[in-house]
Amino acid sequence: MSARMSLALAMLLGLSSTPALAQDNAKLEARIAAYRHRVELLEDQNAIENLQATYGYYFDKGLWDQAADLFTKDGSFEYGQRGVYIGTDHIRRAMLLFGPQGLAAGHLNNHMQLQAVITIADDGLSAKARWQGMIMLARPGGNGIWGVGIYENQYLKQNGVWKISRLHFYVTAKTDYDLGWLKSAIPMEGESALFPPDAPPTEVYRAYPGAYIPPYDYKNPVTGKSLADIPEPPDSVVGRK
Amino acid sequence: MLKRTLLAAALAALPSPAIAQDAAPNMTAEQRLDELDKRITRLEDMNQVEKLQRIYGYFVDKGQWTQLSELFADDATLEIGGKGIFLGKKRVLEYMHTAFGPDGAKEGLLVNHMQFQPIVDISPDGKTAWVRSRAFVMSIGGWGLPLYEDEFTKQDGVWKFSRESGPFTMYTSWKGWGHDALNNTWPDKFDPPPDLPPTTVYLTYPAYYIVPFHYPNPVTGKPFKVEPVGAYQAPPGTKEQEESRKVGQLANGTQPIAEPPKD
Repeated sequence: MSARMSLALAMLLGLSSTPALAQDNAKLEARIAAYRHRVELLEDQNAIENLQATYGYYFDKGLWDQAADLFTKDGSFEYGQRGVYIGTDHIRRAMLLFGPQGLAAGHLNNHMQLQAVITIADDGLSAKARWQGMIMLARPGGNGIWGVGIYENQYLKQNGVWKISRLHFYVTAKTDYDLGWLKSAIPMEGESALFPPDAPPTEVYRAYPGAYIPPYDYKNPVTGKSLADIPEPPDSVVGRK
Repeated sequence: MLKRTLLAAALAALPSPAIAQDAAPNMTAEQRLDELDKRITRLEDMNQVEKLQRIYGYFVDKGQWTQLSELFADDATLEIGGKGIFLGKKRVLEYMHTAFGPDGAKEGLLVNHMQFQPIVDISPDGKTAWVRSRAFVMSIGGWGLPLYEDEFTKQDGVWKFSRESGPFTMYTSWKGWGHDALNNTWPDKFDPPPDLPPTTVYLTYPAYYIVPFHYPNPVTGKPFKVEPVGAYQAPPGTKEQEESRKVGQLANGTQPIAEPPKD
């Protein structure tokens, strides 16, 4: 909350600066500070929700320059098994592997950003979030494609502005529009030879028909226990038992 | 039904935040801060309940039934489709394990239950919450649309499901809802049997059932009762209930859609 807002709040609450009331005021100030922090966390959550939704709207239309600007300077971008690109310049170029700046005619590149579970650090300076990423794709001469995946992203607040510090999209399934999952499973793209990533994929996994659980960044909200020990299903191709 | 109407009336009686702020100009600073605390807590609660519903969905997607059952209060109830009511957290887990198999994602399986469009309300005492929301199911079997009217309880500062109620709107194969639709489920369609019969009996698409709203119209503030609540909807134990199991249903459980009228 800005200084102006907290001053307005103090006026609203009728706070006095009379010395006799100094002790009471200190108590009130402490409460105001605590509430200001809680309101800030609520505002942060909204800001992150808007940030990620904006990323989606940019990505849909091939607005790579604008999408890359949403990242911190040393932020990272990882999509499926394409590997990790680090820094806004590399992220911008990596996105060109999906098509030219500005979506080409006959293409559909919808990447919906849904079902947010946002967890903000107590200091309000970093956050993590899981998102459901439904995909609808099309290109000239090809059939429509349905897809789905999970985002597990990280964010940083720099000079009061939330930015994406780590975007990791786990593509989990893609299929031909008409055929459906039982008849068509489209595999993920691998690392590009044209513009290789800065680092290999952080996790090696297979999309559908393989099964994989993108690790949860949050704890079970009722038991408070970590979800880190949830076992990954076996995968004979990847070699996971 | 009466209970739902009363709840809706209670929600309608809630003062809007703007009124709460201006209500008493002679309140002390402490009292004003108490009011502020309530309003902040309400926003936090709404976020937390929304999160809980979404986390439930992420657990369904990957077959994490044990983790999912932990989201329920000990005496919570669960009713999905036309299957009937399961009483208590333990029965919730038994239902999931028996009907859908052991914990874990499986090769060749896709059962995404994506959680969208939540409408969250918190009771005036801050101890109960309700969500109307939907799941958009994308599975190897095809598409599905459950609707939720869920209730939550805050116990020792932690929100939990106290009632999950997920009547189905539509289930179809990959060929789509213009081609075929799956009938609603019923108590003995698959194991385990429920503890209580369904609260209401209805058919899914191409019939319909309007799930009662837990909240009033947000503009007029009036609670309302939807009449009629749907096609082929009847209380348990009626002749319609027996018939609803068979209407339009083929041996494989599907319900073919009629050809659209031709010009």
